[in-house]
Amino acid sequence: MSEPLFSFGKLQKVLILAPYRRDADYVRQLLLAHDIDAEIATDVHSLGNKLQGIPGVLVATHEALKPDVLQTVAAHLEAQPSWSELPVVVLLDKNAPTETVRVHLNRLWPRARHLFYHRPVKPAELISGVQSGLLARRRQQDLFENMEREVELRRELNHRVKNILASVTSIFEMTARQSASLDGLKQDFRGRLTALAGVHSTVFDADGEQVSMAAVAALIFGPYRQEGSDRILASGSDVLLNREAATTIALCLHELATNAIKYGALSVPEGKVDLIWSVDETSGDLSLEWTERGGPPAREPSRLGYGTRYLRSALSMLFGNPPTFQYAAEGFGFSARGNISQLT
Amino acid sequence: MRIFYLEDNPLIAFHVEQLVEDLGHTFAGSLDSFTALKSQFDSYAMDVALIDIDLADGRTGPDAARWLKDRKVPCLFLTGQDHIAADAGDVVLGTISKPVSLQALADSLELVPQGSKQQAH
Repeated sequence: MSEPLFSFGKLQKVLILAPYRRDADYVRQLLLAHDIDAEIATDVHSLGNKLQGIPGVLVATHEALKPDVLQTVAAHLEAQPSWSELPVVVLLDKNAPTETVRVHLNRLWPRARHLFYHRPVKPAELISGVQSGLLARRRQQDLFENMEREVELRRELNHRVKNILASVTSIFEMTARQSASLDGLKQDFRGRLTALAGVHSTVFDADGEQVSMAAVAALIFGPYRQEGSDRILASGSDVLLNREAATTIALCLHELATNAIKYGALSVPEGKVDLIWSVDETSGDLSLEWTERGGPPAREPSRLGYGTRYLRSALSMLFGNPPTFQYAAEGFGFSARGNISQLT
Repeated sequence: MRIFYLEDNPLIAFHVEQLVEDLGHTFAGSLDSFTALKSQFDSYAMDVALIDIDLADGRTGPDAARWLKDRKVPCLFLTGQDHIAADAGDVVLGTISKPVSLQALADSLELVPQGSKQQAH
């Protein structure tokens, strides 16, 4: 979603500022010989430009640290992102007072890691210093990437929480408008929220993003199973549903089951329900068939209730076409069909 | 008016469908992504579209609104992402904040100019 803040690679290039004699070339050749990428800033202007690319490590000779250079580097350090701390290797003259330079640079260049070497420097020491700087940069890069990931996760979490709250609001508003009594409202609202919470946990426990149709059916029908008798027979092929599809189908099954208990086949002891799902091998369509039998005859309601409206609206969106309802003398029936490729 | 709704949360679509009918309008249907809208636009007849910002194919609500505007369909954002809606404010007649109330929906639909109805497909 978000653009990367920098396109500078992995903070692994060394910038060399050593304007006198052949120092810069010497250091660059040494680094290249150790597979460390390096480039040279020839003057303060070139330094300013190359700092824009954000170097992994800055190697500078003591005599290069003129006021304009100090100022240019300080401005860069000031502008660094919060996770960044530029490693700086300073090559001092043989008799230069390290402590004085250190105190001076610490004040001028905060948020840099200073390393000091007296010349002549042993190549192995310089390489080791540069490498430890590059290693520090790698850690900083990891930190930066973790921070980015956290921002992304927080954004996604916020989106999901808002979505859930909006869902709950809609469930509440729609339940409230259809409820004749406070007890009815409490019972229906609790049932719907429980189904919503249940499918969330089931998806989370599965692998976070996908869950089988069988697991969704087991979740919703579990509470209605009576010992020794399966009054809702649910069966079908192996189908994986994504989070959104699983949520919609779970809430639909919840409405079908509670409707059957209140008015349909499950309102009498001998009534039964079949739920069968299958996937058409050629078209990839998933079909759901809900058939009630052994209960009272089904009659088309004079006004659409929550369940019917929800099934029609949610499954039209999920499958791309509306479900069908059968109000038969043998009992209520329901079927829906749509392309599975949208679901997983 | 025939009111179409671009929204990827079926529970909210289901609620808004009811509110639209309560206001005496016709619910013209809903789709969950800009991609689906582009491919299925011809199957829907709409006088105005309600559009969420985040859809099943990403943060495509503003693009969908521009696309519909080019096809002379007036649009309203219906979203919890008010700050993003504000950035694309010139494309739409207005923004309704979630969670939506009947009154807020009624007020915003008043903004739809008379005679903006297009021919049914």
